[in-house]
Amino acid sequence: MNMNLFRRELRSNALSLLIWTSVITALTALTMSFYGVFLENNEKILAMISIIPEGTLQFKGISDVDDLFSVLGFYSANNVIYMLVLGSIYSIVLSSGILLREEYNKTAEFLLAWPLSRSEIFFSKAAVVFMNVAVINIVTAVAGYITLEIVKREPFSTDAFIIMSAYTLLLNLFFASLGLFMSTLVKRARPITTLSIGLVLILYFIFTISNITEGFSVIGYATPYKFVGMDTLAPDYRLEFISVLYFVGLSLLLTFIAVRLYRRKEIYL
Amino acid sequence: MSTPAIQISDLTKRYGKDRGIDNINLQVEEGEIFGFIGPNGAGKSTTIRVLLNLLFPTSGEARIMGLDVVRDSKVIKQKTGYVPSDANAYPQMETNEFLQYCGRFFSRGGNERRIDELTELFEVDRKRKIADLSMGNRKKISIIQSLLHEPELLIVDEPTMGLDPLMQARFFELLRSESRRGMTVFYSSHTLSDVQMLCKRVAIIREGRIIKVEEIETLRKRQLKKIFVEFGSAEEISLAGLPGIEGTPTVTGRSVRFLYSGEINQLLSVLSSRNIADMTVEEPSLEEIFMHYYN
Repeated sequence: MNMNLFRRELRSNALSLLIWTSVITALTALTMSFYGVFLENNEKILAMISIIPEGTLQFKGISDVDDLFSVLGFYSANNVIYMLVLGSIYSIVLSSGILLREEYNKTAEFLLAWPLSRSEIFFSKAAVVFMNVAVINIVTAVAGYITLEIVKREPFSTDAFIIMSAYTLLLNLFFASLGLFMSTLVKRARPITTLSIGLVLILYFIFTISNITEGFSVIGYATPYKFVGMDTLAPDYRLEFISVLYFVGLSLLLTFIAVRLYRRKEIYL
Repeated sequence: MSTPAIQISDLTKRYGKDRGIDNINLQVEEGEIFGFIGPNGAGKSTTIRVLLNLLFPTSGEARIMGLDVVRDSKVIKQKTGYVPSDANAYPQMETNEFLQYCGRFFSRGGNERRIDELTELFEVDRKRKIADLSMGNRKKISIIQSLLHEPELLIVDEPTMGLDPLMQARFFELLRSESRRGMTVFYSSHTLSDVQMLCKRVAIIREGRIIKVEEIETLRKRQLKKIFVEFGSAEEISLAGLPGIEGTPTVTGRSVRFLYSGEINQLLSVLSSRNIADMTVEEPSLEEIFMHYYN
């Protein structure tokens, strides 16, 4: 890893990290501020929710309406959209662009002429990606915890909150690795932002379909969302070994393949 | 005998079925200013990108200072500077920030003294954002970054594109003085006048193949002459029996122009039997020699 390149990448990606973190934190805080109103109007809310199709509720991460009336369940349902989807989009957009941008902006002709090995370039940039993904997860989780403490009407399980945050981080790190991997497959340099965002949404859509359609539950396993424990209120809610293995294993594998591909990648400008 | 600065052996690079460069052999000596000329798409940039390990050879090999361009790429780049043809440096950075960033890849201090020296020479405003600079000024930044670490080899690709004549002259003078210090220059261009002014030897590349490697002076002094003959009348124009005419003669009224590579005595002997009103023999320009190779 090269510290000069690492520091430069940290600086150049700081603004987008700040914006994404601020937006997600603000959305979380704003949504959680409605929790009190939500509880006070539970009958009206239940009546309203009853006319919403199950698929739509599932898409928004609501599997059991009753869960919404617990502070952690309410937070968890919002976390699905904010961090499991938006956080994953941030992760994959950042990682799929960090190497490719040098190619389509033609700055690779400078970067690759300086005394850096391809591995040093890859790892310096990948370190920034993983660090930014960790930062956005930690900041939004801390902010989320504070809002939970402020709006709660009854105690909630801190352990369950930490486990949910860990699942979110693992999922985001997986998408970060996937973005790095995808960028090394692109031959003619062009941005793949739309493709990356589309991929996250499609995977989430497939996961939702698999949840609400009988006979389709198996296809959920084709998406990483299936391995995210979302039932935060379940008494046995924990970090499943198979999920950790899935996310850590796949992330390491994708990163390993990506670095090998990048070392042999032809840089067309 | 010293190791050549650049040694290219049977180097081929293909883009799928498309031609890149084909079986190139080239040797550039240490301290030499070597010209590499050819039109756009001839394979100049492909050759350079293989040397810099942006592209991988399909077959053959290239060595810089005895080191393999694929295996020893990082070590090579510590000793090499590069001016790309597209001066697309990081647009959001300030000039000074960019130069210090480049410098830190070579020395922890960022070569501040060298940055001062070169920005002064090229009259660069260090506080401006790269995005706000003209093409010529971006080119200057590109040149400066390539020389910060006082490289042993400088590879330049169309370096004068966008530079005004004064800055071109300063750049050439700088290259000459660095060359005297021992730096080798690999100068790729399609501007013949630049190569003519600066280089001692030149390789001409066409459709991915080197068609000639020659000393500039030899190219000039080669028996190729530019002949102008004015006959007594248009009907008398005849070059029959004259071997050594290169290409197709250009006939205008009663005069004819052509490039000639044969013996001057033979030319005079053949023409002496004709009714000649006037005749001149000139050295062709490098441009004309170059076009001759291309035709």
